[in-house]
Amino acid sequence: MQDKSPPSGIDDYHLIELVDVTKVFDTTVALSRMNLYVRRREFVTLLGPSGCGKSTTLRIIGGFEQPTDGKVLFEGEDITRLPPYKRRVNTVFQRYALFPHLNVFDNIAFGLTIAKVHRPEITRRVGAMLDLVGLRGMERRSVDALSGGQQQRVAIARALVNEPEVLLLDEPLGALDLRLRKDMQLELKKMQQRLGITFLYVTHDQEEALTMSDTIVVMREGRIQQIGTPKRIYDEPKNAFVAAFIGESNILDAVMIRDERVRFCEREFICVDRGFGQNKRVDVVLRPEDLTLVPAEQGMLSGVVMSVLFKGVHYEMMIDCGCGALKVHSTSMAPEGERVGLSVVPFNIHIMEKVGEACPA
Amino acid sequence: MKRSSFAAPYGLWMLVFTIVPIFIIVYYAFTINGAVTLDNFRMFLEPEFVGILTFSLWLAFLCTLLCLLFGYPCALFLAGRDMRRATLFVVLFVIPMWMNFLLRTYAWMTLLEDTGLINRFLEWIGIGRKRLMYTENAVLFGLVYNFLPFMIFPIYSVLVRSDRNLEEAAQDLGANAWLVFLRVTLPLSLPGVVSGVSMVFMPAVTTFVVPRLLGGGSFMMFGDLIENQFLTTGDWNFGSALSLIMMGLIFISLGILHRFNPDAESNGAVW
Ligand SMILES: Nc1ncnc2c1ncn2[C@@H]1O[C@H](COP(=O)(O)OP(=O)(O)OP(=O)(O)O)[C@@H](O)[C@H]1O
Ligand SMILES: [Mg+2]
Repeated sequence: MQDKSPPSGIDDYHLIELVDVTKVFDTTVALSRMNLYVRRREFVTLLGPSGCGKSTTLRIIGGFEQPTDGKVLFEGEDITRLPPYKRRVNTVFQRYALFPHLNVFDNIAFGLTIAKVHRPEITRRVGAMLDLVGLRGMERRSVDALSGGQQQRVAIARALVNEPEVLLLDEPLGALDLRLRKDMQLELKKMQQRLGITFLYVTHDQEEALTMSDTIVVMREGRIQQIGTPKRIYDEPKNAFVAAFIGESNILDAVMIRDERVRFCEREFICVDRGFGQNKRVDVVLRPEDLTLVPAEQGMLSGVVMSVLFKGVHYEMMIDCGCGALKVHSTSMAPEGERVGLSVVPFNIHIMEKVGEACPA
Repeated sequence: MKRSSFAAPYGLWMLVFTIVPIFIIVYYAFTINGAVTLDNFRMFLEPEFVGILTFSLWLAFLCTLLCLLFGYPCALFLAGRDMRRATLFVVLFVIPMWMNFLLRTYAWMTLLEDTGLINRFLEWIGIGRKRLMYTENAVLFGLVYNFLPFMIFPIYSVLVRSDRNLEEAAQDLGANAWLVFLRVTLPLSLPGVVSGVSMVFMPAVTTFVVPRLLGGGSFMMFGDLIENQFLTTGDWNFGSALSLIMMGLIFISLGILHRFNPDAESNGAVW
């Protein structure tokens, strides 16, 4: 399913594997026949809208939830029935779940004391963790007296100090403000690379997924929509759902006339995609930044500017081309009401199967 | 009208039925026939009276210990994951509490009697009658039975609101069920335990009806002693002194309990 060669630094060794995992709660199907593997030292992100089954996937791997059907493999061994405390994974929970009756040091040392590590060793390793997450000097603080960002670091340190094979992170940055979020994204990524730990990360923020991951798994209603590198997912979304979820895009109804010929907006375009068959209904994705503004008579499409918004680096314009409004990002600007032309190079016309036909039920 | 004035009726109630009586008690405790003296307290130092206090404290201690030993697992069970089962049992525990405790104690008397249900059952299975009523154990049993809900509910109310994520976090960090309980559940439920202990221990020290009914008057408790001074002997001065000693003890034990309470401010327990 994951048709890619591993990025540098990642062994092609399947550390965790989900085989046909299905999870049903009473009447809701949270996951249906999910297949996924995670390679050693890979940073895999589960991405999808709220309720698509990201947390459930993580909880099944952590051992907090039993799959209704299917298997979980760890280093090739079936761990489906193994209780959480026997698994060599650690979790950073969605709301941190720090122990309120313990101070920062004891929170981080929790796993080591359970494992009966010797006291001097505990002190040394917790100390190293405090340095890593920048909380040196706060050992004796109560965790309630920490800011959100600091609590978040304690949660990460508490998991990492046990040197797990895999770290599961459930929206660990969800509660932080934008600025801190960005900083922590970089820090987490650096930490992951330095320590060489496998990360399975959950988020519903596509930007976060794109910046941090080696591999993104896009999910929807308990099904995997697409697995791939951030670049591949962005450039070649498999269906309209993925395209809409990852970045901004214009999605148009189209007909694939034959290989490298597609028709939309009552015009035929040359594209690079092949193998969709002849006269087949498809979706076309046009990224706003791939549409270029040209004089009206030179454009492949032409339309009237409906609105203009200044977005800092670029202008965002909605242009009515008669086949729906297209969103265009451009550094140059055409005033509202003006007729303009749009052009797009064949390479940037992305053809996708129609959603319903892409994933047979 | 200021909001605080809504509390006026309660303030009046407190004044008439709590503050004023306390002053009256203090007055009686430190006087005999209007003359200021410490004799009332000196009288208490007689071995007989000290013995009664020690016995009361000992019985209350045993009662609290047993309530804790039975009550904690009950609370744990009630606060368990299965909500439907728990609700049923909560109701089963609450129903007896709706009955007056005197009624409950009388019910037990008929059960424990020499010719009561339990003895008939013992006879029937061939063990033979046992003397159950009017023993120290009968008193202890009656106290535990009456006070058990007061131990269970504060603990239950803390446990039921506890964050399940914390238990999962502990499991995640390698703790098995027992260690999760020992390292997380138990320490976090301490506020409930402290409030349960104080809700059982204090009333148990001062109780007098249960020991009289189930103990048949053969065991004098501190509560009985105080009651006797006011209603039988008519020595209000000595009775007041005893009451003050009792109050002192209650404050001391509250202080001790407070020290054990990890977060006295934010404890969500019943009181
Ligand atoms: N314990 C449960 N009992 C019943 N239904 C559940 C339970 N846990 C999850 N679900 C359902 O399973 C589906 C997937 O939930 P899940 O928590 O995995 O979503 P998510 O992708 O993590 O969402 P979010 O981004 O909001 O955290 C949802 O429809 C949810 O209502
Ligand atoms: Mg979630």
